Amino acid sequence: MASARRPERAGRQSALSRIGPADLFLKRARRYQRTRRLFLSLSVALVFLAPLWHLSRNELDSAGLTGGGRWVGLAARVPHLELPPLVGAPWTVELLGLEMLDPLAAAALLAARSFDWEVAIGVLPTLLLVVLLGRFFCGWLCPYLPLLAASNAARALLRRVGVRLPEVRLPRRAPLFLLAALLLATALGGTQLIGLVYPPSLIGREVFRAVFYGGLGGGALVLLAAFLFDTFVSRAGFCRSLCPGGALFSLLGALSPIRVRRAKQACTDCTLCDVVCNLGQQPMSDRLDSGCERCGRCIAVCPTGALKFEVGRAALSAGAPARPVPSRPERGRGAPLPRGEGGA
Amino acid sequence: MNRRGFIGGALALLAGATAGLKAKLAKAASRIRPPGAKLGDFERRCIRCFRCAEVCPPKAIRFHSGLDFFSADLPFLELDARGCILCMKCTEVCPTSALEPTPGDPAAVQAKVKMGKPVLDRKKCIPWAGQGVCRICFYACPYAGSAVVLVGPQQAPLFEPEKCVGCGLCEEACPKLAHAIRIVPPEVKG
Repeated sequence: MASARRPERAGRQSALSRIGPADLFLKRARRYQRTRRLFLSLSVALVFLAPLWHLSRNELDSAGLTGGGRWVGLAARVPHLELPPLVGAPWTVELLGLEMLDPLAAAALLAARSFDWEVAIGVLPTLLLVVLLGRFFCGWLCPYLPLLAASNAARALLRRVGVRLPEVRLPRRAPLFLLAALLLATALGGTQLIGLVYPPSLIGREVFRAVFYGGLGGGALVLLAAFLFDTFVSRAGFCRSLCPGGALFSLLGALSPIRVRRAKQACTDCTLCDVVCNLGQQPMSDRLDSGCERCGRCIAVCPTGALKFEVGRAALSAGAPARPVPSRPERGRGAPLPRGEGGA
Repeated sequence: MNRRGFIGGALALLAGATAGLKAKLAKAASRIRPPGAKLGDFERRCIRCFRCAEVCPPKAIRFHSGLDFFSADLPFLELDARGCILCMKCTEVCPTSALEPTPGDPAAVQAKVKMGKPVLDRKKCIPWAGQGVCRICFYACPYAGSAVVLVGPQQAPLFEPEKCVGCGLCEEACPKLAHAIRIVPPEVKG
């Protein structure tokens, strides 16, 4: 998709060159995207490598006994090194000796009254990151993102062949209510349920199951349901309005000082940033809330370099009124676009 | 549907789900859990991360699959296929102490671990049935002499449930034709 858009962007750039040195912003934005994709690839690689590595470390013959030997040949090729401990998938991972636990897992343990020091130490680094960077996990590390990309591609393809896809918008508060209901059920039911509907955790488990035991479990059906929901009901609808992790990160990262800001003078109201956003943020009309996953795609796609990340208190105070503006004359697609100060 | 109806319906759904979960809790207790697990506490703590199975050297830890929401993806041991070698690595990597950390030496394990207790079917057991000498469970047992002793001229095994940790190495070793030993969860009567 990116290659198809490039000539168009080049054309815009030459036409808009009088506005400012957009190339400079573009270069930085592309570097940001490269870094993000590297992190994402590492996260996805971890999901596959951790079980393969352990399959190679442990007795191969007994692995063959349980898994039907399907992946053992591959695991035998993983270098048998005494690496620093690597255990687990994104949901809870011990990497280079650092124990990291998903804040969502910690919240569920808190709900089930089984929060202790070990959990507190594990959740500290991730909690700090979420408070600082907001919902960054969703854009930088979530192993569901490749599936979401596939879902978006499927949507684009279906639309090209003329299939009408609905765009259901669940209420803004829906994810928070769902999170609260799940935590309540955890507290009352006496079992940790959240991992069963949380894609990063599900993907880690299903990949593990496939590698170790050569099969898939019920979690694969939940993942399939999320994929179908995203494809046929609402674009990134699961991430936006169902995922309990996304809801929790939005809540915890509500005061994150890092925000996308728009330079009104440079903005041409082209809507590209609003369109590219998976999570329904609207940078073009300065409607950004804590649901922003800091993926920076709106910045990379902006033809005039009008958008960028800002850090600090200024950004915080300026970002605060980004909640839905009381007057909303330009709501919905096809409505007249707002003519801002820089609009032309 | 108005707001009150919605909230009422949601609460009713939640109450039903909770009752269902409580019923499942009793059912889930019929499985052997990895070492260091305490019934009830284990289900509240296990976040289903699979790390215990990842490090388990003999790959003894399995998982419930399917859409049973209570026990889906909780670890258990299938001891007749593979017993626990009591290395305690799983308790080391468990991030939430669902498996209570235990040092890997035999005395500490015997003091803290209680995965299950042995039930011997004397009609199937080769020496008890008078079909010959076997002793395989005695040789497989890491606590031979205390958890299992050999008695009588046929050297038939006699188990001491209080001394047994429930590792299931005897169940794994027991000749499949006989299959006389079963490890049952500590709470199960029998």
